[in-house]
Amino acid sequence: MEKIKKGIGEGGKTLKQIKEENERLFRETGCYAGITQPYLLRADPIKAELFHSRIMAALISGRETCKMISASPYVREVAELCIGLYTADGDNIIQSTGIQIHIRLMGEHIKWMIENDYEEKVGIEDGDLFITNDPTIANMHPTDVYDILPIFWEGELVGWVCTVIMEMDVGAVSPSCMPSANVERATDGLRFCCEKVGSRDQLRRDFEFHLEHNLDFPDMFLLDRKGAIAANIRVREEVKKLIDEFGIDYYRRATRELIEEERRNQIARIRQRMVPGRYRNVNPVEIYMAEQPVSWLLGKKDVIRLIPIQMNVLPSGHIVLDFEGTGEWGWHSCNVPPKALWGALSITLVQTLSYDGRANLGSLLPFEIKAPPHSLLNPDQVRYLAFSNSWVSVLDTFGIWMGMLGLAYYLRGFREEAFTLRSGSGWQYYGFDQLGRKRAMLIGGPGAMAAGATPVCDGLSGWLATPEVDIGNQEIWELFAPYLCMSRRFHLYCVGYGKYRSGFNITTMDMIHGTQGLFATGAIGCGSDGIIPNVGMLGGYPSGRRITMLLRYRNLPELIANRQPLVHELGDPVEFKRKFPGEVVQFNHMPPPIEVREGDVLAVASSPGGGFGDPLERDPALVKNDLDNGLATESIARNIYGVVAQFNKETESWTVDYDATQKLREDKRRQRLARGQPVSQWWKKTRERLLSKDLDGKLIEMYQSSMKLSQNFAQEFKEFWQLPEDFSF
Amino acid sequence: MSYSKEDLKALFEGKLPWEQVKQIMSRPKDDDRFDKYIAILQERVPWNEQILLPLGEHLYVVQKGSERIVKCDCGQEFGDWRQNWKLGAAIFVRDDSQKLEEIYPGYLCPDPNLCEVREYYCPRCGVLLQVESVPVGYPVIFDILPDIDSFYRDWLGRPLPEEKEFKDLTYEVTRKWRESL
Repeated sequence: MEKIKKGIGEGGKTLKQIKEENERLFRETGCYAGITQPYLLRADPIKAELFHSRIMAALISGRETCKMISASPYVREVAELCIGLYTADGDNIIQSTGIQIHIRLMGEHIKWMIENDYEEKVGIEDGDLFITNDPTIANMHPTDVYDILPIFWEGELVGWVCTVIMEMDVGAVSPSCMPSANVERATDGLRFCCEKVGSRDQLRRDFEFHLEHNLDFPDMFLLDRKGAIAANIRVREEVKKLIDEFGIDYYRRATRELIEEERRNQIARIRQRMVPGRYRNVNPVEIYMAEQPVSWLLGKKDVIRLIPIQMNVLPSGHIVLDFEGTGEWGWHSCNVPPKALWGALSITLVQTLSYDGRANLGSLLPFEIKAPPHSLLNPDQVRYLAFSNSWVSVLDTFGIWMGMLGLAYYLRGFREEAFTLRSGSGWQYYGFDQLGRKRAMLIGGPGAMAAGATPVCDGLSGWLATPEVDIGNQEIWELFAPYLCMSRRFHLYCVGYGKYRSGFNITTMDMIHGTQGLFATGAIGCGSDGIIPNVGMLGGYPSGRRITMLLRYRNLPELIANRQPLVHELGDPVEFKRKFPGEVVQFNHMPPPIEVREGDVLAVASSPGGGFGDPLERDPALVKNDLDNGLATESIARNIYGVVAQFNKETESWTVDYDATQKLREDKRRQRLARGQPVSQWWKKTRERLLSKDLDGKLIEMYQSSMKLSQNFAQEFKEFWQLPEDFSF
Repeated sequence: MSYSKEDLKALFEGKLPWEQVKQIMSRPKDDDRFDKYIAILQERVPWNEQILLPLGEHLYVVQKGSERIVKCDCGQEFGDWRQNWKLGAAIFVRDDSQKLEEIYPGYLCPDPNLCEVREYYCPRCGVLLQVESVPVGYPVIFDILPDIDSFYRDWLGRPLPEEKEFKDLTYEVTRKWRESL
C-alpha cells in the first residue's frame, strides 16, 4: 500500500490546503482567515506589543545586516530594500522599514509556488533558498529581485521571510536595469521564476556560475544575494527564538490576528478620516518609442494612453479603485504587469493612511482594484512583453491618487494629510566606466522630487516616497560611473504654485569624465512630458515640465584653464538656453540612446507635486520668506502671488508693500473676471472642435484607444460634449 | 485624542509651526475633528445656510431649504451638489504657448498641442477655485461627488432630512446647453 505523504504545514496539512482553507474562510466571513473574533492580541496588549516589536526589530536588523554585506550603492547608500515576514501561505504579517512596495507582491510569489505544487514537485526544505523576479507572477519590474527563505519549526513550515533588493544590473539590454529601448521578454534580462538556487543556507555554485556568465557586473548581484540571504537567516533565527519564547500556538494565532486587526483598523481609519463618495481624476501617459532602437518593429511608435482614475469610497469603508477608460496596452516596456498596481497602492498607502508601522496584507484587504482587460494596466501577451518600465505608467497615476485621497481627508477636516506627488526622472548610463569595464549604470538620487503643498503648509523639499532621497553621499556614484557630481540644488523655477506651494525638487548635474565611451538614455519612472500631470489642488497649480537636458560646453578646456565659473544650476527657464556657453538639448523622458562625451553635462530636474489653493491668497510674509531665502524671484512674487516687494540693500532682505500688494491682488481678480468666460461658451467652442476632429493626431489616437476598450468611457465622453450617438474619432 | 477649536483653527490657517503640524500628522487622529471643522467653517462664512461639507477653500455644500447646493463664501451659488460645480464657474483656458508661459516659462512649458491648463474662477468674487491640467478635449473633471447621505447616516450616525439619490446630474446641464444651441 502506498504511503500517504504528509504536508509540510501545520498538523501535516499541505501548504495548498492551508491556503485554500484561509481563502475560503475569508470569502465566507469577510474576515481574514475567518477570524471573526480576534481575542489573543486583545487579551494581553502588552504581550502583543512586545511580540510585534520583536518581529519588527528582527526585520530591521536583518535589513541593516544586508546593507553591511551588499556592495551596491542602491543597498548601502540608497537603502532600496525591504524585508517582510509571511505566513505559511504567503500573507504578509509585518514589513520592515524601507521601500514598502512589495508587501503583497512578494507574497504572490510564495502563493504561486504553493499553487504550482512546489511542496511536492520541487521540494521545500529548511535552508532552501529561492530567488524570483518574474513580473508575470507579480513585480513592478524585473530589477526588483526577491530572495525567499522558508521558516521551519519542529519539521513544519510556519512561515517565510523575503527580502527585496533593487538591482543595478539584471543582464537586460542596455542600460541593463530599466531600459526603455526594449519590448520583448528577453530584453528584460535574467528572469528568475521562483527558482531554488541553494540549500542548507548556501547558494549553489552552479547558480553563481550562471550569474557570472550572464551579467556585466555579477559581483554586485552576488553580494546583494549574500546580503539578502544573511538578512533572511537572521530574521528566521529571531523568529525561532520568538517561537521558543511565546510558544508556537501563540505565534500562529497572533500572526494571523495581526493581519485581521490591521484590516479592521484600515476600515476604521477610512471611516474616521474620509468621506464616502466618488472621486475622479486622470493621468495621461506619454510613451515615446518611435526613435528607440528596437528590432520588434511593432513597437516603434509614440502613443499617449489615458488612465482615468475613479476612487469609490463605499459606505462600508471599503475602497474601489476603478481604471475604466484606460487605453490599450502596447509593444513597449511601460505596460503594468499582473499585481503591480498593488505595489503602487502599498507605497502610497503607507504615506498617509497606514503609517503606524503595522502595514501588512490587512492594509490592502479593504481595497479592490479594477484594471480593464487589454489595457495598459492589464495587458495581453504578458508572457512575451518586457516590463522594465511599468513605473512610467503607475507613478504619476498614484501620485494623482494621493491627491484624491487627500481631498477625501480634506473634506473630513484632516487637512494636514492632503498632498500630491509627481514622478521623478533621470539618466541611465551604459558603456565603459573609468576603468574601461563595460558597465550598466543606473544612478540613484536624481529621483529627489518634492512633495506637493498641503492645505496647511508648504510641501516638503527634496522629498520622495522611497528611501532614495536621503542618500547622504551622492559622490559615492563617482566610484561607479565615469562622471563628476557637479551639483545638487533646489530648482527654483519648477514649483507648484498656490496659497501653499510645493516643495523644491533637487536638480542634479553630472559631468562626464574619464570614460572610454559612454551612452545615456532616460525613463526612470516618469510618464509625462508635454502634458503636465493634474496635481494642483483646489486652486493650486501643477508644477511645470520635468527636465532632462544635455549641456555641451563650446570651450570647456579653456574655461577650466582660465578658472572661469562653470554652470551649476538650470537657472531662469527663459534665459538659460540662450546664456549657456554651448549647446543645450532638451529631451523628453524617454530619449533614445545618445553618445555622451568627456565634459558633457547631463542635467535632471524632476518636478514636485502641486500647489494648494489660490496663489493670490498666499500670505505675503511667506512670499517674503521665499524671497529672502532665494526661493522666489521678484517676478514670481509679483506675477504669480500678486505681492509687491522691494529689496533693501542695507538689510539684504525684502520688504513687502502691503498696500500695493492688496491693490495688485484686487486688479488681478478683476482681470480674471474679465478674461474668464462662462463654461457653457467654452464648451460650445470645444464641442465644435471635437466634431471637426481638430486635435493633434496623438490625442485622436489616445481617445480612440480608450473608447475602443470602454463603452462607458465613450458614452460619458459623448454625454459630456453632447456628441451624436454615432460619433467616433 | 482631541484638539481644541483654537488649535484646529490655527492649523487650518497655517499658523502652527511645522513641528506641531508634524505631531498632528503622526499622532492618532481625533474623532471629533469633523464637527469642530464645520463649526470653524460656519463662523467664517457671511451667510446662514448650514454647511454640510466643504468642497474647497471657498466652496461648500450647504442645506438651502430642501435643496443641497454648492455655494461660494462670497454668496455665489452653483446649483445642486450632484452637478459638477465647475460648469457654473468662469473658465480661462491656457491653450497656447503665450498663455501657458505666464505660469510655465521657457523650458517648463507643456506642449499646447497636447495639453491645456484650465482655470476655474468664481464668477462673482474672482477667486481661483480649481486648476485642471488635461489633454485637449478631455471632459471637465468632476473631482468630488460626495455621498452625503451615507456619510451622515452611516458614518456620523445622524441622517439628514429628505435623503437624495446619489447620482451624477452633470449631463442634465450639458443636455440643456445642447438644446439651446
